[in-house]
Amino acid sequence: MSIQQYDLMVVGGGPGGYVAAIRAAQLGFKTALVEKQHLGGVCLNWGCIPTKALLRGADIAHTLKEADHFGFSFDNLSFDINKLVKHSRSVASKLSGGVAYLMQKNNITVIDGTATVAEKCLLDVSHNGAVTQYRSNHIILATGARARNLPNIEIDGDLVWGAREAMTPTALPGSLLVIGGGAIGVEFASLYNDLGTDVTLVEAAERITPAEDAEISALAEKSFAQRGIKILTNTLVDSIEGAGKQALALIKGADGDQHLKFDQVILAVGIQGNIEGLGLESLGVKTENSFLSADPFGRTNLVGLYAIGDVAGAPWLAHKASHEAIVCVENIAGIEAVQPLNKNRVPGCTYCRPQIASVGLTEAQAKAAGHSIRVGRSSLSANGKALAIHEAEGMVKTIFDADSGELLGAHMIGPEVTEQIQGFGIAQQLAATEHDLAHTIYAHPTVSESMHESVLDSLGVAIHQ
Amino acid sequence: MSNEIKSIQMPKWGMEMSEGEINAWHVEIGAQVNAEDDLVDVETSKIINTVTAAHSGVLRAIVAQTGETHDVGALLGVLASAETSEAEIQAFIDSHKTTSADSVAAKPVASEPAPAVTDAAPKASSNSALAEGGDDGHIAASPVARRLAAEYGVNLNNITGTGRHGRVSKSDLEAVVTASGGQLVGTNPAAPAGAAQHGDDSQVKATPVARRLAKELGINLHECRVSGDRGRVCKADVEAAAALKNKLPAQSVTVSSAPSSSESQVISGMRKTIAARLQSSKQTAPHYRVQIDAELDNLLATRKQINDANTQTKVSVNDFIIKACASALIRVPAVNVQFDGEQVTQFADADISVAVAIKDGLITPIICGANNKGLEGISHEMRDLSTRAKLNRLKPEEFQGGSFCISNLGMYGIKQFDAIINPPQGAILAVGSGEQRAVVKNGELAVATVISLTLSSDHRIIDGAVAAEFMSVLKGFLEQPATMLV
Repeated sequence: MSIQQYDLMVVGGGPGGYVAAIRAAQLGFKTALVEKQHLGGVCLNWGCIPTKALLRGADIAHTLKEADHFGFSFDNLSFDINKLVKHSRSVASKLSGGVAYLMQKNNITVIDGTATVAEKCLLDVSHNGAVTQYRSNHIILATGARARNLPNIEIDGDLVWGAREAMTPTALPGSLLVIGGGAIGVEFASLYNDLGTDVTLVEAAERITPAEDAEISALAEKSFAQRGIKILTNTLVDSIEGAGKQALALIKGADGDQHLKFDQVILAVGIQGNIEGLGLESLGVKTENSFLSADPFGRTNLVGLYAIGDVAGAPWLAHKASHEAIVCVENIAGIEAVQPLNKNRVPGCTYCRPQIASVGLTEAQAKAAGHSIRVGRSSLSANGKALAIHEAEGMVKTIFDADSGELLGAHMIGPEVTEQIQGFGIAQQLAATEHDLAHTIYAHPTVSESMHESVLDSLGVAIHQ
Repeated sequence: MSNEIKSIQMPKWGMEMSEGEINAWHVEIGAQVNAEDDLVDVETSKIINTVTAAHSGVLRAIVAQTGETHDVGALLGVLASAETSEAEIQAFIDSHKTTSADSVAAKPVASEPAPAVTDAAPKASSNSALAEGGDDGHIAASPVARRLAAEYGVNLNNITGTGRHGRVSKSDLEAVVTASGGQLVGTNPAAPAGAAQHGDDSQVKATPVARRLAKELGINLHECRVSGDRGRVCKADVEAAAALKNKLPAQSVTVSSAPSSSESQVISGMRKTIAARLQSSKQTAPHYRVQIDAELDNLLATRKQINDANTQTKVSVNDFIIKACASALIRVPAVNVQFDGEQVTQFADADISVAVAIKDGLITPIICGANNKGLEGISHEMRDLSTRAKLNRLKPEEFQGGSFCISNLGMYGIKQFDAIINPPQGAILAVGSGEQRAVVKNGELAVATVISLTLSSDHRIIDGAVAAEFMSVLKGFLEQPATMLV
């Protein structure tokens, strides 16, 4: 039997892989995509989308708590977490079906199974014990990543949840320990707190959301504390032990060691790349800390082998994966003037309450990079729309290069800022200066007027503060 | 203006192109087009490309209908102003038919506008008296006026400024140049690519939209006034400059045209050219073949060593054959030739065309100077070329030319075949599949991996002994690949 031959094969059907396959098919490649579980990857099935469905429930819970402020009162309020989880799962499965349709529409062969790179330009796909070989001049690995365990604490799906278990609870825990104050940990802390759980959030670094600008972290921490989330920074969880139906945690922090009991623990201390079982060791493919090493066009050191998305390293974001997919495929196709991904232009969004969104350098990073900078700040407490919707907690911080006027970074915390960050992303892409942003007319009344105020503040001409 | 009727002609995109098939018109009759707008897709033997407008105007007539094939230089359509009468358009089409019947490349001289200053130095068009007057550095003038004055060779002392504070403005300068009988740069709608005169405009401050629009409209940003915020050329400035260049009303006039009459399935442009070229090759070039077998075991071992030692490389047997042919062509240069029927051109480097099967046809991308390239370089280039060939993304220069051709059907298990010479080249190598065969060595039966190679040569320029020598040298390189290093 002769080996099936494709021009381009993609391993992994997440937002990196399926986008790569579609772009390849658009360009005329004979394309196949290998997926071992379900199309859409972690993002659609166990990440971005289902958590946002749950967080919508948290928003409603929050609104109900605020109802009295607007004159509403009610009793007999009840909540069935199973219905919320059901909503979340149905959104995920709907979108996964959408990806299957897109594969079909673009004439992409979807191959079920687990892929191994047998040699250069040769893939073994095993499915139900049978192995089929495929030859492809170009193989793109988009196998994603998974939650990392700590050496002494592992996700067991029972007392210690990973993200998957945390988004499919059957009952609301009374108390919850979240280990890890990054985007994922913060989102779950916010979610469960809004739903009524007593949440403790532990972070090893000196502040939560350590990747964000320090001022944003401080505001988030303040807001969380006001909501009753206990935050322990500079703190490590040393061990988790079963104690009846509860978990006994040994927590080591500035205040010394303490033993605390929780109904549930969520471990969210980062992720590691899915590089095992791909046959890469024997082929000498270079890796770095469990991620594949690739150049800005996704090329690994093995000819014809490419890596994009989470498996190719930080930032671990779906939109970064999708963009890398486009860049990688267009470069293979010889499209002229393909620009590699600029990691400083990848926005990051955290969907806690209040939301956090940012793009580009933090103030500390900008200074460390040697820029002479101009910083603008605008508080939402001076924003009419934010006050009107009773969500006036937050700020917009903008950082410009003092010489060129380039927007180096933008950092936002507040209601729906994840929808507003695009404005700054577009400004960066168009190489807009602070003057372009200052001369743009922002609609009134909107929360995003604070973006304008922040830019004006950087020029020392803020109107409303 | 009204008598400026311009032709849209079948372009010539390469040495081999003699005709093209109309694939699709992008513009309807009566539509206003600007210079460099897409007009019509033309399919040639090798590519589909788009003819863009050399001038602006209203598309008044479509002469070449979709599906029709026309010779290079043939009239495809007519651009003119909206006021030009039907009779004039028809007369233009008729006159073009007669002129093109005489010579394909002939241009409709009568209707072609007088060449603008763009071909000559700008200063040639201004009165030399205007150049006199000594140092004019002290004269107040706008930067644009000063630069244009230098281009036109006009001394600013000869101009009375009417701008703010008596400054000499661009319009003052242009008025003087016109009054003295000179031609203006960039304002004559007939001037093709007048923008190019100003050269690089990347340093001009402009909004991203303006820069893009200027590129599409063929406007040099230097030509634009600057009215955007903070001294940037904005979209309106580019549009104003474009409007100045193309003073044509956008009134639409409908010209009735005969509906397309082609109903039968016509073969594609590529298929047609393959048919025409190979038929001509077989009829004009007296083909003969010499065949040789080569043992590949050393080569395969070397290949394994190379591929195992380096993750960056996946050298194929075909890459070795390309390299070996290149080395053999340098050793036997009489095979490294092109022949046009009268003249033989022998090349110093081996530019090797490699046949790649693509959807509905084949194409022969070229490894240029393969003799100067290493196996890894050849391998990478071949991977890129064949990927882009399948996506229809090769540039004409990447598949036109070549001094020798390789056609490899080994991957299909073909043992041996003959190929037809790819004109104007002198020879083509047909490569079969490397397979284990029983061979006799020193009276003993043995097993070796053997490949059969067949060279088709044009006997008008390559004699049998030369072809045989080439094949024997090639066999040597394949059987002892290390000798290629010497």
